[in-house]
Amino acid sequence: MTILQEHVGFQHEALFYRGDDGFLAGLLPFVRDGLEHDEDVVIAEPRTRLDLLRDALGSDASAVTFFDMAEIGQNPARIIGVWDRVLREHTDAGRTLRGVGEPAFVGRREAELVECRLHELLLNHAFDGGPSWRLLCPYDEEHLPRSATRGALHTHPGAMTADGRRLRGSYAAGAVTDAFATELPRPTDAVLRGIYGSGDIPATRRTVGQYARKLGLPEDKVEILQLAASELATNSVRHGGGTGTVAMWVEPGAAVVEFSDSGRVSDPLTGRLMPPLEQEGGRGVYLVNQLCDLVQLRSSDNGTVVRVLTWL
Amino acid sequence: MRDHGTLNDLPEAGTTDHLCWVYDDDALFDRAVEAFLSGGLERGERLLCVGERVIESLRASHRLAEEVAALMAAGALQTQTLAQAYEAAGPFLAENQRTYYETATRRALAEGYRGLRVIAEVSVLAADPVTRSELVRWEHVADGLIAQNVGFTAMCAYNGELADEALADIASVHPVVHTPDAVPAFQLFFDDGRIVLAGSVDTFGADRLSRALAASPVGPEGAVLDLGPLEFVDVAGCRAVVLWARGLEARSVPVEIRGASPLFRRMSEILAAGEVAVDDSDEAA
Repeated sequence: MTILQEHVGFQHEALFYRGDDGFLAGLLPFVRDGLEHDEDVVIAEPRTRLDLLRDALGSDASAVTFFDMAEIGQNPARIIGVWDRVLREHTDAGRTLRGVGEPAFVGRREAELVECRLHELLLNHAFDGGPSWRLLCPYDEEHLPRSATRGALHTHPGAMTADGRRLRGSYAAGAVTDAFATELPRPTDAVLRGIYGSGDIPATRRTVGQYARKLGLPEDKVEILQLAASELATNSVRHGGGTGTVAMWVEPGAAVVEFSDSGRVSDPLTGRLMPPLEQEGGRGVYLVNQLCDLVQLRSSDNGTVVRVLTWL
Repeated sequence: MRDHGTLNDLPEAGTTDHLCWVYDDDALFDRAVEAFLSGGLERGERLLCVGERVIESLRASHRLAEEVAALMAAGALQTQTLAQAYEAAGPFLAENQRTYYETATRRALAEGYRGLRVIAEVSVLAADPVTRSELVRWEHVADGLIAQNVGFTAMCAYNGELADEALADIASVHPVVHTPDAVPAFQLFFDDGRIVLAGSVDTFGADRLSRALAASPVGPEGAVLDLGPLEFVDVAGCRAVVLWARGLEARSVPVEIRGASPLFRRMSEILAAGEVAVDDSDEAA
């Protein structure tokens, strides 16, 4: 006899909670239900939340895999790659995955929350149509800005409160295209600009390095920014119409280096999934996402912008 | 470490010279030939000039003109046209070239010279894409031999009118380069049993680096690649190094990478982690 498991696909839900009690009241039943159904439970939360959950789970905690979200997802554009890897590992082992991920945790900067919102939309884009698994994303409605919690209703096909009450969301599958095409806020401070072409990659790299050093960034950050400059300017030359513009400025708390060109990035997941080592190219943005503090990629018919933020 | 980088002055003679001289100024080239050979004579080395263009420089040299006949009669100076060179070393293959020059160096030492100093102008091999890849391989193999301090030294002359791609391919496998135009972004050469990568490698040079690394003579004992003098490498360059190392390791040849910057290590870890993520799972099944 063969028992066929119903294929329900990717279930991506938001959980709105208040305080530690609300957090545990919402999460514990979800985790325990997963363990009871013999699913592999993977939790990505910031450190304090991880400790809270681990303590509350008691002996059940040993069956759960924990990731520090602040570590794996400092730049939210890295998180899909992690879930993709985890999902593949568990699916390959014939297991069902159940995940908890709180990308938009309290303490995030405004620009990070903006990227968390795009990330949440892209999760659906990345995993819809793939193996069945559940991902629950807690949102601290007490401490997060209203825009972040309200935004979660637009980015998750399902939503509920800590006491299990279902909420009516306003998720639209097409929203990811609009979010990916949305213009980033313009810089308010003085901006240094330069145009680069095919022969200017090393010069662009040096210019960005000098700027970063002048701001007093530590040498490892300078090297990372130089690498990012090389990768992103190369993308402009190769795929973005042959030339591009680099802009550099300072925002409160961040040094910003931005690369823009007239090309269009058709896949909004660009740079979030690692291409295999055998494939030539396609890993520049991925690498920049892995190494830089925050990366904002937007693309539309008007062109492509990659904004790299380094926290000061 | 052996001298590496660009040379703006006339060459001097040392023990492990492997100089790439790209010429667009004939008079300057003549003087470089004269300087390189004179240095060899002072050191008591046998001189070998390969290719019509070098022989022309020899004739043009005021300093050497009076001595040429006597040196040639004594066997201290030999010349070969390209046709004669092909005949002497057999079909143009790196291994044949190596055997020929190793033997010629040993003979020079046995006959009382302190080494064999060669100037070769083989632009014609660089112009043809088919022979060029073998030429690059030979230049790299030759550098391995020269670095062993066996008494073999060389200046390889190339016409500056060759295509940029050809010149970059060739210049990249010499530790020292004189060029009127663009200097090679990176240089791959041998030093003390190691392969050394200097300069910078980005997406536009990564294929060139892959080809040069693939041409590195590596025995079963393994390879050491020193990235110490590398100023910059992007992810495409990092990938070229990782793929080369992996290819050797797949053949049970050990590879050690030294002098890698923390950023290079992070990059290679990211590349490796990405590979783990992309296995052959078939989730749609």
